Amino acid sequence: MKILTSNILQISPSEVIDRIPDSYNNFVIPFVIGITFIILYLSIGLIRIIYHLEKEERITLLKSLFKPKIIIKNIKDIFNDCLIHTKIWKRKPLLGYMHSSIAFGWFLLIVLGHIEVALFVPKHLSISEGSLFYPIFYRFFVWVNPEHVTLRGYFFFFLMDFVLLYILSGVALAMFKRVRSLALGMRHTTKPSLADRFALYSLWAIFPLRLLAESFTADLSGGSFLTIPMNYIFHNFFGNSLNFMPTWWLYSTCLGIFFLAMPFSRYMHILTEPLLIVFRNAGLKVTKPRVGFAEAEIYACSSCGLCIDACPMNVKKKNLKFSSVYFIRFLRRHNTKKINAIANKCLLCGKCFALCPVGIDSPSIRVAQRKTNHNKYEYNYNQINYSSIPKQSKTLYFAGCMTQLTPVILNSLENIFKQAGEDYTILDKDEVICCGRPLMLSGREEAAKELINKNKKIIQESGCNKLILSCPICYKIFKEEYHLKNIEVLHYSQYINSLLENNIIQVKKEDKKIVYHDPCDLGRGSGIYEEPRNVLKSIGELVKADKEREENICCGGSLGSLTLEQKDRNIITEGAISSLMANHPDTIVTACPLCYKTIRNNSPIDVEDLSEIISRNIIKK
Amino acid sequence: MKKNVLIIGGGPSGLEAATILKKFNYNVILVERSSILGGHLAKWDRLFPYMEPAKETLDVLLSNIDGITIFKDTEVNSINLLDKSYNVILSNGITILADALLITTGFDLFQAEKKEEYGYGIYEKVITSAELEEYFKTLNNNKIDNPKKIGFVHCVGSRDEKAANRACSKVCCATAVKQACEIKEKYPDADVYCFYMDLRMFGRGYEDLYLKAQKDYAIRFIRGRVSEVSEDINKSLVIKAEDTLSSKPIRVTLDLLVLMSGMRPSSGGEKIKKMLNLMTEDDGFFSTKDSIYSLQHSKLAGLFYAGAATGPKTLPDSLHEARSAAIQIHNYLNN
Repeated sequence: MKILTSNILQISPSEVIDRIPDSYNNFVIPFVIGITFIILYLSIGLIRIIYHLEKEERITLLKSLFKPKIIIKNIKDIFNDCLIHTKIWKRKPLLGYMHSSIAFGWFLLIVLGHIEVALFVPKHLSISEGSLFYPIFYRFFVWVNPEHVTLRGYFFFFLMDFVLLYILSGVALAMFKRVRSLALGMRHTTKPSLADRFALYSLWAIFPLRLLAESFTADLSGGSFLTIPMNYIFHNFFGNSLNFMPTWWLYSTCLGIFFLAMPFSRYMHILTEPLLIVFRNAGLKVTKPRVGFAEAEIYACSSCGLCIDACPMNVKKKNLKFSSVYFIRFLRRHNTKKINAIANKCLLCGKCFALCPVGIDSPSIRVAQRKTNHNKYEYNYNQINYSSIPKQSKTLYFAGCMTQLTPVILNSLENIFKQAGEDYTILDKDEVICCGRPLMLSGREEAAKELINKNKKIIQESGCNKLILSCPICYKIFKEEYHLKNIEVLHYSQYINSLLENNIIQVKKEDKKIVYHDPCDLGRGSGIYEEPRNVLKSIGELVKADKEREENICCGGSLGSLTLEQKDRNIITEGAISSLMANHPDTIVTACPLCYKTIRNNSPIDVEDLSEIISRNIIKK
Repeated sequence: MKKNVLIIGGGPSGLEAATILKKFNYNVILVERSSILGGHLAKWDRLFPYMEPAKETLDVLLSNIDGITIFKDTEVNSINLLDKSYNVILSNGITILADALLITTGFDLFQAEKKEEYGYGIYEKVITSAELEEYFKTLNNNKIDNPKKIGFVHCVGSRDEKAANRACSKVCCATAVKQACEIKEKYPDADVYCFYMDLRMFGRGYEDLYLKAQKDYAIRFIRGRVSEVSEDINKSLVIKAEDTLSSKPIRVTLDLLVLMSGMRPSSGGEKIKKMLNLMTEDDGFFSTKDSIYSLQHSKLAGLFYAGAATGPKTLPDSLHEARSAAIQIHNYLNN
């Protein structure tokens, strides 16, 4: 083979030639073991996940792989979320820089390495010629002919050094973050497990070792502003370039250890996240808590701990262990007792989901977990009366149990309906029918479905074309599970907003500073942030809360939790109120009967419902 | 020279303690933030379990107040703990150097509008127990218009964690039974319902009152909480509740609903708490030095409590505490 290479050299002098006989050295063994292991592990994992999917889910997944729209979205999302980490950039730029430098930087190193091989020694791209390791250790295997280096070569030398420097700056930040997480905007960070530590320290070592290893060979295989000066220094100190073998061994060993520890550590997210994105974009949802799609979510958790600060239960430090990150960790370890405890405790406010950089829907996993425990209870809804709608009108209003317990909202809305000249019927005027969401939240899916079907029949047969709801808890399930045909489902904040925009009602302004509390199920749960704010702007001066919109803190009253004690709920309520009080408002306004009741019992200032403040200021015709 | 004892709060406990301390020959100063003495007692008509007129008890309390310096319409502006005494500045500008302080700030009624599902402040025919008592006194309340069906809701803002009060308010059960009998006397044709969780008839004569209410007055006791109240077109109230003895949901239409508001720490007490950094328990009422032997002592030397400032109490209990506190203060000042 050597002879062959030199023959080619004589014909056309090449820029880069193989330096090592057979293009192989024993030091690549640890890396090859690691990379083989991880590829096998990932393949088996993928087969497992697909095996556990329902048949329809598998078909949806397969179909999605051929839809151009979804393919483009997959590529875009993988680039944004896995490499650039746009979500973290938006929230905490320094943290975003740290992540993207390592992720995107490493990706670039691998891609550029392969491009170099493809350009200069293309035969090594075949598996029999060492494509598994050759591009990774490219700088070890080649000799660059200094007399023939082209601009193209120099360009790559520079690029590789630049990217390495980019990564190293990220690694330095990561090390600093371990010591002082607050500097990067995190109050609490996760405690690493043993596998995490192995993976973490080998990951930290990989890039400095690569720098050292490539610096040793920079005089043979080329280098740039980083590696050439270091090579010069090394030669003056060690005198003998043979010293470089141990560093290449170390570099390969660290890569090997990292890949071996990966499946048992948080770093599995690097490989699982693209998978999760493809599954999610296909439209898959969590149905089982541990297998199938949920498994992809569980392994995609990067254990970054952003959810620890997000969780409203953590205003007092004692509840840290209830955060999503630990929930997922216990799921990975099959610790059923703790899984159930956390699944039942959670308020399901969805803030961890909203802020998760990977977008792991852990509230759904919790509900799925509840299903495994609570779905078995008996139920009987035969008493629900179908003949209870008194008259038929085009607009149906469903108050729901929480609004029935908050008569001021019901009265205010009725006043607004009258002023707007709306022909309406109250669906649950005499008999309160449950929307099914509390059952759903407690994991009793079958019972909920039965209720939903009964209610759906009543609503569908009423002949209405608009359904108005005042409780966001109801609204979410009506939107997501009822699939009502030809009926527009509206939360009353949307309805009032359209009344104001179309000038059907007019209101007078109050000289008041108003702060708006986003109900979890309305904001994060249904994406309605603007309509209630628009409505309030017509009434008074809207001031900001410390944390609002997707960052808003749950009021503490959520139906989601099955086991959280009132005492702990009160602490959460205090946290939510102090965030609302940040800009010294005169009134707190919310658009959920449950939030209203919860905040009102603890607030130092007036608390009003959106409908109440509108009804009070409506200009009578 | 006579030693100064300052009493904060001119309710029954404050008045009783003041009378006794005066007899012990101290210079007693009593501060009351409102314009009348007697606290909640002054607003009450008759007292359980034997229906004694509240005015008689109040008159006894007020008959011995000569020689006590009383400041009405006066609040405490600041209190400073000196070496062995308290420097108290009042809102009328007077400064008092008190050798001992007695806090008898009592309770405030739970604000029934916070329990919105019962519709107080929203529906016309929903009143509180205090308003009904005032009606018995004055016979003047336009919300009470010859009612045919009347309901009482027990435990409004008591034994209710969502209303931020886990504790029992102790007096509302007996008050409700008493008021149920009284309204039945006024309107003999009316049906009267009591919605209760369990009836705590612990005192002497209370059980007899309860039996009398069932036998002589035909009050209907329904075990179960009211879940919600709404109004129909005739402005009558529709009550939804659960009868937990027959395990059935029930619905009743009423002309009047009376909410038995529980006891909450008084806002006056809250102010004093902040001035001296005093300790309170989870229920918001002041902490006593221990829970059995030193119920009148605080952790501070020379500062004592009596009455409902340390938790819900009946009137006789408060008066006992006032006498006990007077003796403890006497012992403290002579040691």
